Amino acid sequence: MSSGQNSGGLMSSAGLVRYFDAEDRNAIRIDPKTIVAFGLLFGVGVIVLNAVAI
Amino acid sequence: MGWKEAAEPVLTRMPSVARPEGHVPFKRKIGWTAGILVLYFFLTNVVLFGLQTGGTGGDFYGQFRSILAGSQGSILQLGIGPIVTASIVLQLLGGADLLGLDTDDPRDQVLYQGLQKLLVVVMICLTGLPMVFGGNFLPPSQALGQSLGIGTGGVRALLFAQIAVGGILILFMDEIVSKWGVGSGVGLFIIAGVSQQLVAGLFSWESLGGQSGFFPTWIGILTGAVDIGSPLTPGGLSDLFLGQGQILALITTVLIFSIVVYAESVRVEIPLSHANVKGARGRFPVKLIYASVLPMILVRALQANLQFLGQILNNWWAAMPGWVGQYSQGQITGGLFWYLAPIQSRQDWMWFLGFTSQDPAAIAFRVAIDLTFMIIGGAVFAIFWVETTGMGPEATARQIQSSGMQIPGFRRNPQVIEKVMERYIPQVTVIGGALVGLLAVLANMLGTIGGVSGTGLLLTVSITYKLYEEIAEEQLMEMHPMMREMFNN
Repeated sequence: MSSGQNSGGLMSSAGLVRYFDAEDRNAIRIDPKTIVAFGLLFGVGVIVLNAVAI
Repeated sequence: MGWKEAAEPVLTRMPSVARPEGHVPFKRKIGWTAGILVLYFFLTNVVLFGLQTGGTGGDFYGQFRSILAGSQGSILQLGIGPIVTASIVLQLLGGADLLGLDTDDPRDQVLYQGLQKLLVVVMICLTGLPMVFGGNFLPPSQALGQSLGIGTGGVRALLFAQIAVGGILILFMDEIVSKWGVGSGVGLFIIAGVSQQLVAGLFSWESLGGQSGFFPTWIGILTGAVDIGSPLTPGGLSDLFLGQGQILALITTVLIFSIVVYAESVRVEIPLSHANVKGARGRFPVKLIYASVLPMILVRALQANLQFLGQILNNWWAAMPGWVGQYSQGQITGGLFWYLAPIQSRQDWMWFLGFTSQDPAAIAFRVAIDLTFMIIGGAVFAIFWVETTGMGPEATARQIQSSGMQIPGFRRNPQVIEKVMERYIPQVTVIGGALVGLLAVLANMLGTIGGVSGTGLLLTVSITYKLYEEIAEEQLMEMHPMMREMFNN
């Protein structure tokens, strides 16, 4: 650590899914807020459907 | 024209979460991680629309649930199962070098990311469809089918659509945590599930509806409210250690915790010094658990997939011969698939206490198969993991070279560094992988608090440890913005 060379820095092992910096220009990019909002709405939607059906 | 050119238009257009522009402050990172965690817990509590109430079949994942996250009958029924299975396929293809993708090339990186997503979607269909349409794991509501006029087939399609959306949501939530938060989403969901079970196993009391936890039971034993035999008789001792007292489970849990934390600190350190700056020294640690515990989840998932195959065969093949598999009430009780099933608890093998009526020789054979599978599988997947995540001798040699460091006493040359690395990394990886496999089997055999599997516990402890290291690193960078450049962020 004395040189600022972090001992863990070289060993960053990613999770099961790996993401790289490179991205294609054609790729569809989604804002993370959109995904969270969709997840919430989807959950609430299913709860409402369940409540209505019973 | 190879497969790369053919698949390129599809793979490059897979939707992905936007990357943050510039540095994300540590507090915001924690915010995103916590937010995703809350969303995850919320979604595990949303019951599928169109599910027959009350009459749910057994959990499709069974004992594997604790490492595959999600929860039975909810939108997140699939959990991280599809991600793990897709990862197995990628690891095997990548490890055998069949893909021909160079993960240092930006073009190939894009393809790799796309392929990863596509495989997860394929796996969502491959595990989701048999789950809904084969067997009785998610029974559709007949009343709903009639009132909507779509029949049970239509309701089943509705169920599948919901769990598929849930599976894709998990994938994107993982991406958000990886890009905007701390650690990885998959790790976060595993910790969340296992910790929930652990806390329940320690503190839950009977009036909550589940089993009584460790502490309430002991309060009961000490005050005399829970009746156990005298500790001086064999029956009383068995109650204390194996039964309600759960002392053995507590010992195993604490032991696994300490072994993993200890093993994280066992390492071979290769000294480094800077080529141009005198006095600048560093060390490259080759940890005992070099490949981390994550490859373990791949081995377990492989076993889980074999068991699903058995269950599906059992449902569809009425005249299945007994040697393939015998089931009673959805539980495997004999045949080939019984031998392939991992030991999940004491009930699976402690014949001498009357927990199981199976033949001791057959049990010993099954334990031997489980051990072989986990130890060899652990080592093999650890090697693949190291190779595919750029932790192998060649990749680390290149990293050390490009950071301007060298091993003192050796020529400054990537090939020379690689030679030195080759003396340590492969051996340490194999030993670490095999050790983790052995630990997982032993923990399962002895039982753990809250019924979390040995693999689940191993994963949780080591992921939490990694998370702690990462948070410490983040905080260091917050305090010294200069550090950011050194970490190449």
